Amino acid sequence: MPELTLTVNEHRYDLTAPIGMSLAQALREIVGLTGTKIACNEGHCGACTVQIDGVPTLSCITLAHNVSGKVTTIEGLRDHPLVDAFVRADAVQCGFCTPGQVVSAAALVAASPSPTIDEIRHQMAGNICRCGTYPRIEEAILHWRD
Amino acid sequence: MELLRPSSVAELDGGLPIHGGTEVVPLLRDGILHADKLVDVRGIVPSGVRGDRIGAGTTLAELEADATVPEALREACRLAASPQLRNMGSVGGNLLQSTRCWYWRLKYPCRLHGGDRCHAREGEHREHAIFANDFCASAHPSDVAAALLALDARLHTTRRELPLADLYRLPNEASRELTTLEPGELLLELALPAVESSVYLKAMDRQRWSFPQVGVAAARVAGEVRVALAGVAPVPWLLDGPGALDAATPLPRTAWKVDVARALVRRALDRV
Amino acid sequence: MARLIRTEKEVEGRFEEVWLVVEEDPLTQWPDGPLTVVGREATRQDAPARVRGEARYTADVQLPGMLHAAVLRSPHAYARVKKIDLAPALALPGVHAAIGPGDAKGLEDEPGFNGAAVAAVAADTFAQARRAVEAIAVEWEELEPVLDPDEAVRREQFTAPSSRYERGNYEQALASADVVIEGTYRTSVVLHNSMETHQAVCEWVGDILNVYISTQYIWGVRSAVAAELGIPGDKVRVVCEFMGGGFGSKNDPGEYTFIAAELAKRTGRPVRCALTRREENTAAGNRNRTIQRLTVGARSDGTIVALGGEFVNGVGWSGWSAMTEGPMQMLYSCDNVRTVRHGAKINLPPMKAFRAPGFVEGTFGLECLIDELAAKLELDPLELRRRNYADSNDGKPYSSKNLMECYELAQKHWERRDEVRARSTDTVKHGVGMASQIWYGGGGPPSYAWTRVGSDGRITVVTAMQDIGTGTRTAMAQIAAEELGVPLDRVEVVLGDSARGPYATLSAGSSTTPSVGPAVRAAAADAKRQIIEIAAQRYDLEERVLDIKDGVVVSQDGNVSTQLADLLEILENSQILGKGGRGPNPTGMSVLTFGVQVVEVAVDIETGEVRVERVAAAHDVGRIVNPLGARSQVEGGIIQGVGHTLSEQRLHDPETGRILTTSLDAYRMPTIADVPEIVCEFVDKPDEHLTNLGSKGIGEPPIIPLAAAVANAIRDATGADVHELPITREEMLRALGAAKQKERRGAPAAV
Repeated sequence: MPELTLTVNEHRYDLTAPIGMSLAQALREIVGLTGTKIACNEGHCGACTVQIDGVPTLSCITLAHNVSGKVTTIEGLRDHPLVDAFVRADAVQCGFCTPGQVVSAAALVAASPSPTIDEIRHQMAGNICRCGTYPRIEEAILHWRD
Repeated sequence: MELLRPSSVAELDGGLPIHGGTEVVPLLRDGILHADKLVDVRGIVPSGVRGDRIGAGTTLAELEADATVPEALREACRLAASPQLRNMGSVGGNLLQSTRCWYWRLKYPCRLHGGDRCHAREGEHREHAIFANDFCASAHPSDVAAALLALDARLHTTRRELPLADLYRLPNEASRELTTLEPGELLLELALPAVESSVYLKAMDRQRWSFPQVGVAAARVAGEVRVALAGVAPVPWLLDGPGALDAATPLPRTAWKVDVARALVRRALDRV
Repeated sequence: MARLIRTEKEVEGRFEEVWLVVEEDPLTQWPDGPLTVVGREATRQDAPARVRGEARYTADVQLPGMLHAAVLRSPHAYARVKKIDLAPALALPGVHAAIGPGDAKGLEDEPGFNGAAVAAVAADTFAQARRAVEAIAVEWEELEPVLDPDEAVRREQFTAPSSRYERGNYEQALASADVVIEGTYRTSVVLHNSMETHQAVCEWVGDILNVYISTQYIWGVRSAVAAELGIPGDKVRVVCEFMGGGFGSKNDPGEYTFIAAELAKRTGRPVRCALTRREENTAAGNRNRTIQRLTVGARSDGTIVALGGEFVNGVGWSGWSAMTEGPMQMLYSCDNVRTVRHGAKINLPPMKAFRAPGFVEGTFGLECLIDELAAKLELDPLELRRRNYADSNDGKPYSSKNLMECYELAQKHWERRDEVRARSTDTVKHGVGMASQIWYGGGGPPSYAWTRVGSDGRITVVTAMQDIGTGTRTAMAQIAAEELGVPLDRVEVVLGDSARGPYATLSAGSSTTPSVGPAVRAAAADAKRQIIEIAAQRYDLEERVLDIKDGVVVSQDGNVSTQLADLLEILENSQILGKGGRGPNPTGMSVLTFGVQVVEVAVDIETGEVRVERVAAAHDVGRIVNPLGARSQVEGGIIQGVGHTLSEQRLHDPETGRILTTSLDAYRMPTIADVPEIVCEFVDKPDEHLTNLGSKGIGEPPIIPLAAAVANAIRDATGADVHELPITREEMLRALGAAKQKERRGAPAAV
């Protein structure tokens, strides 16, 4: 099986994986980072969002062998102020979509530290939440630095 | 499966090209596309905006953010897909994306799959075409293609230079292809003429992350107004005059799209 | 002293009688209003784990040697398996076992819907299992499916006997009415689409079966699996500490659990069986479609004198026929009501309970009908509801009802109508609509909890309940903290494991807080009593002068003021153990929840686009334990409501009965950009008859009135009557066209 190297959360991982394995699957099953969730496996829901060089990317439709950049998963954001902001705002119910939400939100506030509500709604629209925590997520992002 | 990464066009030697992968990866997984060899073309397809030239590898997110890009194209990108997909997907890939028709995606033996029926025509077709829907009623889902068609964009490939309209063709008995791309031909660059004004209006059934029910792009180019629609025909659809919508051939459950198109075309023409 | 009694228990509107062991020594309810911990906002104790991705869901369970199962599902709406050959699958690389019809519960040889499970394979990787499934050779005999619910009714093809109800004299009352409105209302199939798909990992360790499962009912899975496998319940351990959503679809084990258990038995390895999102959209259950043919008769002063309806539930191949006629029977005071409800057995995937099953659909039909009545009578819709306020549930008193207070809370939002309508332009019309709701949510016995207090003064609450994302885990901690008089951060709740903890009821039917909450309070009270007894001995005081406040043991005269940990440090390894159980529900009373929503919409009358701009919700669910969590439930329910009102619809091919909307690009749920402004208020009055808490469940009420309120707001904005969910542009344009026709024919447009 072909080899590849991934840089994830500043750590280097050397793996073997078949061509065709998704980055999400490689992260979860080989690297052992299960914070990134797979909910649809076809790029429709955003639960699998990771950052590649800071850019929110759907890891379930990214080929592990085609990644050329630094990967940041939710595990790499565990100390980000957004985590506390999400907890305070009650922006989590079942929590399955939440890691992806935080990853997208972290990229948003990195680019735009005081986002407007319209910006938030536009940039977070690719992260589906079935439980409907959206108003809480908005609040968390608006007040992430409080 | 092999994954190759050529560093020049000269190195291309068959295989299935992949750029952002947002189309190719799911279709491979579904068994609609087949490949023993994947070719990562990110090293050879130009990307970025340089004056009136747009590299086919430019992502939708980059176009959305670029103030030098005409409004219709920026807005089409802004309203397309999801933020993550805009980050990943190239404009070239977006032009070549396949229909969302559920029969096609579920691999019914329909016309586009080489069969002899259009299951949508006789079945569930409420999201399907209002033009050119006799042979195949699928709808083309690209907002960006409609915008570029209205903007009268020209396309440079590894083989030729052509108006964007000539990239597309309607399927027929002889060939079920929806593009005129030859095997191994890659999109490289788009060239836009000077645009005086342009607009893109999109009807969706949720506020974001939804393919166009009807998308209307209008552009004033060299004094002339061009109007192109997404979501209404198997290919992006250039309206050839004000009465064009009267010539629509809706199916029983797509008649509503004609009403929506009328309203959006009127509004787009007011704005442009 | 233990007593055995017989009492009534309700879940999702279905009633059963249960035997219950009750301990005496009931607690009195706390006083009204926010207390020290209960009634105050509390962030979720498990939120950091979920937010950071550290929480382990069933999808994250990876056991050494674990195999992956893939399932062969029928591509046909109705078929018989004439022949099946598993050998080609077994020959493929990585495959360890394959099973077919009859080998596990849920594998059918006469699958009655597209997606019904027929066979399954376990392999080293999921990709290998999928390839093997595709290699299974099946000879199908295709049978003629029935897909139309009305057709099934004509053929008398029912999932259960039809339900008929009458009170008073419907025909006579209808004939005497001044005004009669009739209408046919339709709702569509809607899918739960929880973010974590249905799945289980089964592992045999000796004769113990460990079941890791994404479920709403740990104990229910334990019982059902034990019963099916013919083994004692305590040989089945069910684990679910974190699960990614259920909304009613995960109340039972599902075929995937039995498949995993059987494959695990045969291979000697743990086996995961997880539905893909495509399977989730096909075979995981759904809210069934309904066709409701409704009639209301009223006097010109607005008194409703007759209500009647024929309700057809398109249940599917199996599933239960929900009480769609419930709101018509229960919401208003009307002496003459006649309903008939059919459960159509059709060759489509079976219904599974979805957040207030039956009542969501029935409230849409009823509240639109009543609103049309208001329009006809030229009466204010909110006033019409007030005039027909029911003071009892058809003679049976309510344990508590504060719907009138909800109407009062709604009044200020209702008064925005002129201001909202004034925003209308030539092309975009703005309007306001309302709808009220009634539902269950009182919970019931049994449920139990244990408390464990150690020498560090920290309290652990143990119960085998599940927190499906509603925040009930934190609510239990609050209840225990309040009862014991300790700060919230001293309480840890252990849940999610049937081997650790006593029985807790399912987390569906808005049951958890009203069922497990009282048990937790009782268990906390038991522990507190023992702590006070120890303190009394320690300080040589009477128990009645001692209390615990803010984690400090205090005496009335102020002489004792000891940190709980300091009092208990002498215990070392000794522990104080408390236990408590949920008592019976009040007899002879209806335990129900109530609410009203006022919705503002904008309708683009040229393109048919509907936008829900603002929802003001007022709900009466007894005492609110955690206002923060409760508000999240209201927002979540409203947002799910927006989904089924505007964009969600499962479609099937009319010719073959195959499901077409199998992916999330086709089945479109609300994004963050679709969320209206939401204002949420609670009456927050404890139900004085209901348990030691006075709390009812909030999970379901908020989703119930949303669709009707939107439709009624559309009527206010445009005069158009929408009669179908979802309100697609096609439906909106149709309704606008019909309203225009009505206007042309001289009938006045409504309001």
